[in-house]
Amino acid sequence: MSQIEVTLPDVGEGVTEGEMVKWLVKVGDTVEADQPVAEVMTDKATVEVPTSQAGVVKELKVSEGDLVPIGKVMLILDSSGGAVKNSKVSEAKDAPQISNKPNNSVADGKLAATSASMTAANSAVKSAIVRPDNMTVKPLDVLPPAAESKVLATPSTRRLAREMAVDINQVQGSGLAGRVTREDLLSISSGGTENLAQATYSSPVPTSMPGKTKQALAIPKPAFQTFSAGQEERVALRGVRKKIAANMQMAKHVIPHFTLMDEANVTELVKFRENAKAVGEKYGVKITYLPFVMKALIATSKEFPMFNASIDDQAEEIVYKKYFNLGFAADTPNGLMVPVIHDADHKTILQLSSEITDLATRARDGKLKLEEMKGATITITNIGSVGGSYATPIINHPEVAILGMYKITDKPVMMNGKFKAQKMMNLTITADHRLIDGAVAANFLASFIKKLENPSELMLNMV
Amino acid sequence: MSVQVKDGYDVCIIGAGPGGYVAAIRSAQLGLKTCIIEREFLGGVCLNVGCIPSKAMISAAEFLHQAQHESSVMGIMIGNVRLDMKKLKGWKESVSQKMSGGVSQLLKGNKVEIIRGKATFKSPATLIVNIDDGEALEINAKNFVVATGSRPIEIPGFKFDEKTVLSSTGALDLEEVPKKLVVIGGGYIGLEIGGYLNKLGSEVTVLEANDHLLAGVVESDLVAVVEKKLKKEGVTIKFKAFAKSYETKAGKTFVKAEVEGKLESFECDKIIVTVGRKPNSDEMGLKNLGMAIDEKGFVMVDAKRRTNIPGIYAIGDIACQPMLAHKASHEGVLVAENIAGHNRAYDVKTVPAVIFTDPEIASAGMTEKECREAGYTNLKIGKFPFAANGKAVSLQSTDGFVKIIADETTNLVLGVHIVGPEASNLISEAALAIEMGATLEDIALTIHPHPTLGETMMEAAEATLGHAIHIIQKPLTKATPTVQPENTTRH
Repeated sequence: MSQIEVTLPDVGEGVTEGEMVKWLVKVGDTVEADQPVAEVMTDKATVEVPTSQAGVVKELKVSEGDLVPIGKVMLILDSSGGAVKNSKVSEAKDAPQISNKPNNSVADGKLAATSASMTAANSAVKSAIVRPDNMTVKPLDVLPPAAESKVLATPSTRRLAREMAVDINQVQGSGLAGRVTREDLLSISSGGTENLAQATYSSPVPTSMPGKTKQALAIPKPAFQTFSAGQEERVALRGVRKKIAANMQMAKHVIPHFTLMDEANVTELVKFRENAKAVGEKYGVKITYLPFVMKALIATSKEFPMFNASIDDQAEEIVYKKYFNLGFAADTPNGLMVPVIHDADHKTILQLSSEITDLATRARDGKLKLEEMKGATITITNIGSVGGSYATPIINHPEVAILGMYKITDKPVMMNGKFKAQKMMNLTITADHRLIDGAVAANFLASFIKKLENPSELMLNMV
Repeated sequence: MSVQVKDGYDVCIIGAGPGGYVAAIRSAQLGLKTCIIEREFLGGVCLNVGCIPSKAMISAAEFLHQAQHESSVMGIMIGNVRLDMKKLKGWKESVSQKMSGGVSQLLKGNKVEIIRGKATFKSPATLIVNIDDGEALEINAKNFVVATGSRPIEIPGFKFDEKTVLSSTGALDLEEVPKKLVVIGGGYIGLEIGGYLNKLGSEVTVLEANDHLLAGVVESDLVAVVEKKLKKEGVTIKFKAFAKSYETKAGKTFVKAEVEGKLESFECDKIIVTVGRKPNSDEMGLKNLGMAIDEKGFVMVDAKRRTNIPGIYAIGDIACQPMLAHKASHEGVLVAENIAGHNRAYDVKTVPAVIFTDPEIASAGMTEKECREAGYTNLKIGKFPFAANGKAVSLQSTDGFVKIIADETTNLVLGVHIVGPEASNLISEAALAIEMGATLEDIALTIHPHPTLGETMMEAAEATLGHAIHIIQKPLTKATPTVQPENTTRH
């Protein structure tokens, strides 16, 4: 019998720690390789953590509620020889083959030795580099060494620049004789560009750089002054809530929001959906209004591409996306989650409906995978299903728009000189004013409402 | 032959020299599952047949030399000093063993698996290691670091037999001091070994193909100090000398060489060939893997020390110049950190170089020529001699100087070149200054303790600025005395 230490594996990009929510095994249990042993809540999602090895649980090293850094030993297994052999195979299988993007190849860096055969050598490198499981692939590569230029900076500052993916050769130093200081670099990371020689700067600081976004926003962190300590409870801000807080702060800081409100007469849509509901039941699929709204949103965004876009602030470029990944806000016991339906423009109402049901259920259970919450191009919030007439939602950065749909109510509407009871739905479009003008948003919302009000036409135009 | 498969390694390092063992320790520190493969000695050439044993021999030769010559000046009459070369060899070996044992302990303490055997790549992810007893291991690792170093270059007509024709390895392991010795190659290894054997009693002749010693590495004013001292100690130096062949007649060995166009013959007991080292890139099946190797035999690497084969890194002598242990160790750390997912690159302003001649030579940064090639057209150059330093005088080691090269307008320190006592220990301050982007004033305004050899660095900075205290320099500007306020107390 030998002992095996099972550590908290890297669960995804940028995650450095997780909160132990629940043990799925207890001391004495026999576990198979790849069997989930614990639920761990990270700042992105709650994930089931498997053991890479088989054996008998000897000791749980972490208690529920503990904060566990990636790589920390979670539990200890006793393992017989046979089990170890078995798990070795699975370990080898699990090792991710991380394929680096071309910019992570030697091609960008200078080979120290010089030779005519270098070009051949470079092109041979653009294939996968295999790395151990616990490694993150940085989207950075070799920036030119400062040693080869006349840039003045201490070794530690040069290393910091490299870690920040800033080409120190392009930074104008504020120090003695133009030396680049640590502060010069930090000011770049907090959004300042005045130190950069603009024309030649070509290495953007990726916004997805783990741990850097918090530092990037110089947001004050005021302490809360206690009024009555005995009547207050302090709970650590962590996990999903911490991530929501950071994302909201970031979005509000970066994006100048504005919200436009209107209402749509969805009487036809209600009828259409009633019929569709019955059809859906035959397929065992619950048809809600959300997929219709999605289809109308996609059709409208095709007319107004700036709504399905992002701003690359570093590059000072607008990124128009030719794909439609729709996020929809879901209220869960853990807090707000935004699952994403990828390539929603290629899916039928039936497919969308079943996917929505599946994602929403798993969001509530905290079982969403990280990739199921990534990559949205535009988001819908359905807060109306809970309550409220109108809201001013916050855009899910780096998207540039969020559509709000609210509850359907019977309202008297003046038609042909008479009041008639109609099904009305309030709608809001919240947009990034840097990219989208008020009049454009008004046209967008009008076009969207027209589609929602005429479901037959929407269906006829559907891809 | 049976083959046992071992896998699950995050990183496998081949070669346990100053590059490899450092890479292994840092890898293990970063939580990577690490093994290291060594065919000969832990610590590599450096600890076993290079830097360390040669330093042991040099310190012994220096001790003997002082006892024989310099002690009497101080009034210490030692009398008949005798050398027991076998005992000295034993002591030298104990020094290497101590250091190599330390490496073993460090590796084990960091849970690095040590595998002894000869490695050959089967594929970019698989290594075959032949263990001495006919067994073989197949090692599968996610990353490999090639740190297999270099070996002495042979020249035609002088095949190493380690009996008459010695490489540096054989020269360091002599059981008796050769009466007459020919050193082919006046580079740093030849001068270090030739220098100490001369002090131990050999009659040494150095044959150098160039017209000066330490060709291409060291500025000529530094070399001149060493050359003068060598000649004073009785070493014969032949320039433009090309060794052709040797023959042994009636127990006597003669080296035939063309010196300045004329054929000459040099009688000797041993021949040491130190014409340089070449990377071991022709081994391990590296070429079969398709690894890019340049025409000088260096494995081609980028600033992250990646080779053209994904997952394989190379560091140290095999990767690129300069072939120095401390460069290899620096790369060992950075490559381990790269493998662990950090973003590191080889980005140093200088690799200091030290030569353990008498007196020592040490350099950091650029030579005057290199400064000009790098575009620094206006330079300030200053020197401070050890003869004006109290500690050097009391050590009876006053040969040499500290020279600083700085940019004329910014006073940025570009290069520091030292020839003199403990130059090797003094150069680190210069390396730090250059890496930090220090100016002459930064060094001059740093208080250096008295009385030390280190003061020469401060004085040299002052001298380069034009106003050293302990040598006479012309005043650069006319000083206006500061007017003291009336109520100032004077001490």
